[in-house]
Amino acid sequence: MIEKNNNRLGWLFASPYLIFSTVFFLGPLIWSLYLSFTNWDLISPTYDFVGFKNFTKALGTPGVRSAFWVTYKFMIVFVPIVTAMSLFVAVIVKGLPKLKTVFLIGFFLPYLSSGVVASLIVKGFLSHTSPVQTFLRDRLGLDIDWLGGSFSALFVVAMIMAWKFTGYYALILTSGLESIDQEVYEAAAIDGVKDSQRFWKITLPLLYPAIYTTLILSFGATFGIFTEVYQLTGGGPNYATNTWQMEIYSQAFKNLQAGYASAIAIMAAVATFISIFVIRKILEMWGKRNGWV
Amino acid sequence: MKKKLSVMLALTLVFTILAGCGSKSSNSGTSADGVTTIEFWAAPNPTQQAYWQKIAKEYETVNPKVKINVSAIKESPTSEASIQAAIAGGSAPTMTENISRGFAAQLANSKALVPLDTIAGFNDIVTKRNMTKTIEPWEFADGHQYVLPIYSNAMLFGWRTDILKEAGVNEVPRTYSEVIEATKKLKAKYPDKYLWAKPDLADPTSWKRWFDFFMLYNAASDGNKFIEGSQFVGDEKAGVDVLTFVDNLRKEKGLLSQNVTEPFENGVGVFTDVGPWTFSTWAEKYPELQYKENFEVTLPPVPDGMDPANAKTFADAKGIVIYASASPEQQAAAIEFIKWVYSDDKNDVAFFQETNLPPARDDVGTNEVFKPVFEKTPVLQEYAKAIPNAVPSMDNPKFNELQTFIGQEAFNKIVRGEIDPKTGWDNMKKAIEGELQ
Repeated sequence: MIEKNNNRLGWLFASPYLIFSTVFFLGPLIWSLYLSFTNWDLISPTYDFVGFKNFTKALGTPGVRSAFWVTYKFMIVFVPIVTAMSLFVAVIVKGLPKLKTVFLIGFFLPYLSSGVVASLIVKGFLSHTSPVQTFLRDRLGLDIDWLGGSFSALFVVAMIMAWKFTGYYALILTSGLESIDQEVYEAAAIDGVKDSQRFWKITLPLLYPAIYTTLILSFGATFGIFTEVYQLTGGGPNYATNTWQMEIYSQAFKNLQAGYASAIAIMAAVATFISIFVIRKILEMWGKRNGWV
Repeated sequence: MKKKLSVMLALTLVFTILAGCGSKSSNSGTSADGVTTIEFWAAPNPTQQAYWQKIAKEYETVNPKVKINVSAIKESPTSEASIQAAIAGGSAPTMTENISRGFAAQLANSKALVPLDTIAGFNDIVTKRNMTKTIEPWEFADGHQYVLPIYSNAMLFGWRTDILKEAGVNEVPRTYSEVIEATKKLKAKYPDKYLWAKPDLADPTSWKRWFDFFMLYNAASDGNKFIEGSQFVGDEKAGVDVLTFVDNLRKEKGLLSQNVTEPFENGVGVFTDVGPWTFSTWAEKYPELQYKENFEVTLPPVPDGMDPANAKTFADAKGIVIYASASPEQQAAAIEFIKWVYSDDKNDVAFFQETNLPPARDDVGTNEVFKPVFEKTPVLQEYAKAIPNAVPSMDNPKFNELQTFIGQEAFNKIVRGEIDPKTGWDNMKKAIEGELQ
């Protein structure tokens, strides 16, 4: 009887989240799946079922192909940078004698800032007539079209993302560092572990759960890049920064192809799910091979 | 029993939330006292919004049975997206202005617009406003008129004559070879300045092609259509000429596609598309820019051997549409309002005065009523003169995809020096024809 009441209580407490998820996630997901087999244009009162036509069409377009590859290119650039930066910040902050919280909040603030505003500032910063660009041109003879080059545009977006997420991931890593017992370092010192080996032999293995979390979050973040790309490059040049979200937006709201955009969204969801699954397995294997888990 | 009640309660809650999310007004727009309310979304431009608010108030005083709520179209992120979202969400207004032919084609294709020519009294508006010729090219492929054009900007190119003179160019170049020659002189004098400095040149966003490619293409092809119905009918020779011209400008280092703040106004570039709406901004922000003193406006440059004096250009024309989702009472009230506005020339004069946008009429360059506007802002005469040379945008519902291909496959790549003009044209043609199938 008690168990039955506990079950009911559990369902009751979980119900707000379940209702929220049903209405705002499960419902739209099912609706999106349904739309992906239609040619609905978002506003027309009628539409037709087109079977798998949207999916086959999507596979052949440069927009979707680029969205697939661009996400992995972002991963290659963004994940190592953000991981290194957040780890660096976490280690520095942990070593501070005081005001740790103040510094952490300072690094966390970019995460709360508007992506639109950050992008516009960067746009101004990289403008042809900005002081930085003028200096590079006049003093160093470097005339760089940051947002016009395939790699530089991708790099700029990845750097904005890294700036935004570093503080957030540093927060997770700092809490991981704080949880490492000081006695472990003392014991290692007695056993003759050198200072230069401390990080690689003790800190990194014991920090693995936190690093695992930040890596999964950062890999996942690359599948959701939109604002920075929308504001800075529009997916260009030559699709070099055309992410899944950008492609879905363009097809749904510029080209008015809600059915086709839904098909791309489903493909993006599948790609995300499989990629994250594989990345998780690789990270777990990495941890197991080194005996960290 | 309790379990069933719990399930019913939960379901009721969920459906209440869903019903709340999707509630759709069944209001006819007419209240019990017979007052019909029209929702009118004006262009997100303060001068146009102010004009329509004033006109709506005047109309309400003479027609107390109609209430017109004028508000600006939200640009979140674009006015087109806001309109689409409103239609999809069942909260479309009765009418909006600022609708291009291309976007109207998208909306008409989705049965979201009322064919205006089927509403009684529409032809009276066309006749009374003296716009019979102007509205002709606005007829859609299905033979209907979905848009009442309000203004027509024959887009012109602006030239910084002060900088050109300093570089030894005393006459505004009008042909491709003259432009290339001017670029050489400009770069020789000012290596840091560019002929055409504009970030949009490398941006594939569809509408941006209206203000570079289509201005040049219409001039080079003498107004030859690009798409007709669902056929690509672009003039290959003219198109390749345009792309070669742009490629030659790039080779002379005359193009700058990096982000740069107001390059023409700040003198980084000496050539750019200029719409008549620009002059009120310049009067406030750049009062030193004076027509005939340090800048001029001309029709687009043409390939050598063509007459530049009669070059065609792009017509940045926008108009009013009425939505099919509005009630019959609202649609009727909307058309009566439009009829009232355009039955009196003084309303077009006021619009022209306040917005600098030439009314879409056959007589804007000849009718004496517009003389005070030209006297106040003489440069507008050039725009009025160019109206017969201006070609409106395509009316294909896929205009967005098609114009994106122009940038992605040809124009943007030429600007960045990634492709040769002929290959760019061929790739663009292939992509467009593929989309049209």
